[in-house]
Amino acid sequence: MLAQQIINGITQGSLFALLAISFAIVYGTLRLVNFATGSLYMIGAYTSFYVVRHVSSNLFVSLAIAAVVGFVMGLILERLAFKSLRGVSRIASLICTIGFSLFLNELAAVIFGRETRVMPSVYTGTAFRIAGTNIIWLQVIMILVAGVIVIGLQLLLFKTKMGLSIRAVSLDYKTAGLMGINVDRTISFAFGLASACAGVAGVLAAFYYNSVFPVMGTLPGLKSFSAAVFGGLTSIPGAILGGYLLGVIENLAVQVISSGYRDIVGFIILVVFLLVRPRGLLGRKIPM
Amino acid sequence: MELKQTLRRIPTLLGSARAAMAAFSARYRMPLVLLLLVGIVVFPHVITGPYYIRVATIMGIYVILASSLNIIIGFTGLFSLGHAAFYGIGAYTSALLATQAGVSFWIALPAAGLVAAAFGALIGVATLRLRAVFLAFTTLGFGEITRIVILNWRSFTRGPLGIAGIPVPQFFGTPFTRVSYWYLVAGLAVVTVLGVYRVYHSRIGRALVAIREDELAARSMGIHVFGYKVLAFTMACFFAGIAGSFFAHFQRFISADSFLNTESFTIITMVALGGTGSIVGAVVGAVILTLLPEMFRFLVEFRMVLYGLILIMVIVLKPGGIVGVKGVFEKPKSQRKPWIVEKLTRKPTIPDATQPQGGTL
Repeated sequence: MLAQQIINGITQGSLFALLAISFAIVYGTLRLVNFATGSLYMIGAYTSFYVVRHVSSNLFVSLAIAAVVGFVMGLILERLAFKSLRGVSRIASLICTIGFSLFLNELAAVIFGRETRVMPSVYTGTAFRIAGTNIIWLQVIMILVAGVIVIGLQLLLFKTKMGLSIRAVSLDYKTAGLMGINVDRTISFAFGLASACAGVAGVLAAFYYNSVFPVMGTLPGLKSFSAAVFGGLTSIPGAILGGYLLGVIENLAVQVISSGYRDIVGFIILVVFLLVRPRGLLGRKIPM
Repeated sequence: MELKQTLRRIPTLLGSARAAMAAFSARYRMPLVLLLLVGIVVFPHVITGPYYIRVATIMGIYVILASSLNIIIGFTGLFSLGHAAFYGIGAYTSALLATQAGVSFWIALPAAGLVAAAFGALIGVATLRLRAVFLAFTTLGFGEITRIVILNWRSFTRGPLGIAGIPVPQFFGTPFTRVSYWYLVAGLAVVTVLGVYRVYHSRIGRALVAIREDELAARSMGIHVFGYKVLAFTMACFFAGIAGSFFAHFQRFISADSFLNTESFTIITMVALGGTGSIVGAVVGAVILTLLPEMFRFLVEFRMVLYGLILIMVIVLKPGGIVGVKGVFEKPKSQRKPWIVEKLTRKPTIPDATQPQGGTL
């Protein structure tokens, strides 16, 4: 039973980790929080719903298409919400992304309907057993996909020119601009990347929970912001650690408290960490 | 070409219209206020349809909520995304007092305000040291926690069933009618707006604005920044609690669904649309955003889509809101305009005929 909870925690943790990475990339490059991350997750999930229905039921096709859709949505969002607001207070951008989140969620409700749509279950066969617990293929795939993305991102950030630009911009975008880096393009790319991560998380969630609905992204979005703060908002490894830890802690907490209260865990962690250790577990020291 | 030039003149025209309005309202302030009060009194006798009175009453609730949130967002420059939680706490306090303990509405109303204010102070003390974005997320988290607790604490709040059968308030033995609900909410709204006005023009209000403009400078002027922030938060939550209590006794049924985070966003949209920091603006924003979906019934489905769009457009295009004060979204003059604004309002470069052309080396 305990092993089962931990496995479930790790699986959900990979969703949180992907979303937390999305927050960390945006916060790292722009020092901004994108509230619409949850909506991008929802869009990813709906993309996979329609891909499965009309194109192919293969998870990886959905993943690829949703990543592209997420990337493009991210670029649009960046262009509209952040680029025009550069230099404005951070809070104005945050409120603007809240506007986007409302807009996207409700538009999805109008277009796709408010009811929960059911996804077909795939990859539900048992992969292997550990400590008397069945681990299904989907869980293995989710953990692997999240792992591949995490490693891919690290390679991108530390081995490519674009990664170097992103890191330079995140340290000091003015100086980076003076050094000949195209700051606008770098920020757009980082934003697209972050949004693609959210979209991928959405696809995995749609397959894992077998359902999609318009406000599905709100709670995971908020919780993974907590996860990002937990691990350290300025650090991608921190965000990953925070995501997995939050998933496991949440699932273990259900053993102690009533399952109705499970969603509170993330917020308590958020408040405690913001007050006690705002830099998170692994983050750089940031001026609060 | 004609059309383009007309379009270009729109911002100027709007600007002068607003200036004229401002001058008019400054010149005839007292008569306008009196007219408004007479309108409030006469309204339910002129337009007697129950539907209209109901919409107007709901409008009154939102006027209270938006005006109170304006203390936090507009005056102090803090971002609370959990205002609906305090509204909900007020509503639940009042409803539980009335249904479980049989307390009269007239006692439950201030009690709800006080309980909401107490929660506001508590949350304020815990979170108001955080920087803007983090404060926003923590208050949002608090809103979510409140909703979850309401849904799960079944023995106390009856969970997802909500609380039904909240008694109709009585006024010296006569139960409330539609019209008396309207008079009460109008009275509460007037008191709230007056209260907010008095706060703004007091020592406290000036301290709050000083904090909004420059926290460090305010601190060095001897303003107890944290204390004033908590005070602002508490005051706003008090009014939200009052609004919640009224809502509970007006609707006579409440459940967690009435106090979701989207409700907080609705109130924020009202404040932003009217103009953050403007007392009139909060009222105007609340009135417009309550009436708009009612006037265009086909918009009902699109209500939140519309709110989202309005929120985006206000911040990108018109950070000062309708009333056009220098609100918290306004950026410093030196910064360049958003690209979309630049595109729309770029002035044609007309060669100046009075200056000699070329050859001025």
